[in-house]
Amino acid sequence: MRKTGSHFFASCSRTLRGELLAWLLIPLAGVVAFNVWTTHRSAVATANLITDRTLLASARVIAEQVKDNEGSVEALIPPSALEMFASPDRDHVIYRVMAPSGELIAGFPDVAIPPRPPTDLQPVYFEARFRVEDIRAVAMSQPVVSKSAGGNALVVVATSLRGRDRLVTELWLRSLRDQTLLVGIAALLALFGLHRGLAPLLRLRSELVARDPGSLRPLAAENLQTELKPLIDALNHAFARIQTYITLQRRFVADASHQLRTPLAVLKTQATVGLRENEATAKTEALFAIDGGLDAMTRVVNQLLVLARAEPGGAAMRKEAVDFAGITRAALESRAMLAFDRSIDLSFEGDVTGLELQGHVTLLREMVANLVENALRYTPEGGAVSVRLTREPGEIHLSIEDNGPGIPEAERERVFERFYRLSSGTDGTGLGLAIVREIVAAHDGRIILSERTPPPGLHAEIILPTS
Amino acid sequence: MRILLVEDNRELSDWLGRLLRKSRYVVDCVHDGADADAALSTQHYDVIILDMGLPQMTGLEVLQRFRSRRGLTPVIILTANDAVTSRIAGLDAGADDYLVKPFDPDELEARIRAQLRRRQNDKSLRVVFGALELETNTRQFLLAGEVLSLTQREHAVLETLILASGRVVSKATLSETVFGLDDDASSNAIEIYVHRVRKKLEGQGVAIGTLRGLGYALRKQDA
Repeated sequence: MRKTGSHFFASCSRTLRGELLAWLLIPLAGVVAFNVWTTHRSAVATANLITDRTLLASARVIAEQVKDNEGSVEALIPPSALEMFASPDRDHVIYRVMAPSGELIAGFPDVAIPPRPPTDLQPVYFEARFRVEDIRAVAMSQPVVSKSAGGNALVVVATSLRGRDRLVTELWLRSLRDQTLLVGIAALLALFGLHRGLAPLLRLRSELVARDPGSLRPLAAENLQTELKPLIDALNHAFARIQTYITLQRRFVADASHQLRTPLAVLKTQATVGLRENEATAKTEALFAIDGGLDAMTRVVNQLLVLARAEPGGAAMRKEAVDFAGITRAALESRAMLAFDRSIDLSFEGDVTGLELQGHVTLLREMVANLVENALRYTPEGGAVSVRLTREPGEIHLSIEDNGPGIPEAERERVFERFYRLSSGTDGTGLGLAIVREIVAAHDGRIILSERTPPPGLHAEIILPTS
Repeated sequence: MRILLVEDNRELSDWLGRLLRKSRYVVDCVHDGADADAALSTQHYDVIILDMGLPQMTGLEVLQRFRSRRGLTPVIILTANDAVTSRIAGLDAGADDYLVKPFDPDELEARIRAQLRRRQNDKSLRVVFGALELETNTRQFLLAGEVLSLTQREHAVLETLILASGRVVSKATLSETVFGLDDDASSNAIEIYVHRVRKKLEGQGVAIGTLRGLGYALRKQDA
């Protein structure tokens, strides 16, 4: 957990937690900013409402005192009308009362008059300036009953805005404080939620960091969110594939070392015998044996190298357009001597056109040669091996038939394993069919082993796509 | 000295057998686990050379079965696998020594001699009986300081007798150590070899005594 923390605060590195938190908190901050603005507006509105009530009450008290006194309109300003405004803010309260005639009967003449005249029932609220101060004012009309000068008197009461502004600030700050608290709590909850939600992922991470680098043990997928399960499944799948590959590779190395070490032991023994013998004939015999052993070993080493090249990830598989009929003919010619030696009737039937495909010349020739060599080896002397090339839409079929003992059905899959030899085995390297399978796979083809009709014998068919 | 060589590679088996016979051992070659198991259940050997990768029954299995029958013969395993685990498995199953292929046949022979010496409970390189000496390293007999020239079979007879250090060796035991599985062994043949060895020992105060119905023993006599 210590590491996680330091990662989280590392400035520029991307962390899932950081990004999730940012995606949560940045929009939240936007919402809060908008809210601060609306809150301010509503605080002003509330403060204005309160101020307006007071102004109206004050104006009513003054208006009630506007009377007709023997033909002239008078206004007595009661102190209570002004005391309403008493506050620690020392706001100035000003007023102006005008007779229906338009004559100033009380107050200051320079108090602004409303932008539009108030009606009987509707007072008018407005903002204006009085000398150096902003003011808020109310204007109301008061009907005056008089014989001479009847009509509506105008009462304007105004107050400076210190008290109102303080109220706005107070209201606004209180709401601001609450909201900040709310965002803070939300952020903490989000952090906690994220931590809980990401815990399986972090646990997975520490498990991966802590595990032995060579370990391919599958990761536990329990207690994981469904979104993470496919990731773990994919990882485990990859682990399993690598594990299989490593197992195969290990077995191959073990088999290969056996295939190389035993012949070396033979050579060493033969050399020791040769050195110890005194007679020339015995020495020559040992030398011949060593010579034969070296040939056999050369074949194994060559086969191993072909196999290494044919394997996925082996030598660069640059494919080019090749003439498969030519390749087959060349491969057959290279094994012709073996057929002559064993008096086997080796026949080729493949004068078909359009046998071009994308492939690797050397590997394809190796593939055909290995199959033909197998057929020649297992066919009894005087037997027959026939090779036929045919073309199907999008495919080339190579079929090789011999009249040897065939391969029992149970062993038809195993013969492709490296160093696997039939129980009735000959002196092959045990790599031929493994090489064939790798090369066929490298060319996206497939190989089918079946019993020849009529039996006995083996029918090997290779199908290669032309595109 | 009779050796069982269990190796599935025919060539290695043939040439190693030839080499060991040249060094005056009696060698039986078998090529799979089942044959090895059968040979070990019926025959007596002084050393067993056992390949690990065998058809029918693995070398390890052969070894385990042999040891479970209380077979005490020293076993040297041959393996193509140089992984420590495989060597440990072999030694744990009761092998006395191992060699990883490809090995030097000279080293194999030295290890065979080491196993034979160990069996004698005597680490000395020399077995002495009167005027007769056997150098276990070179496997050469000296009689009164002179190298005694013996054929392979004669050598086997005398070696068995001297290693028994005076005890009686039955005719059957003697013929088992002298003849391999493939040899056409008759009891008369043993008598012929004993007779020949006797002749070669004459006059040096060491002789092979016959105990009718029991067998032979080496004994000292006054010259």
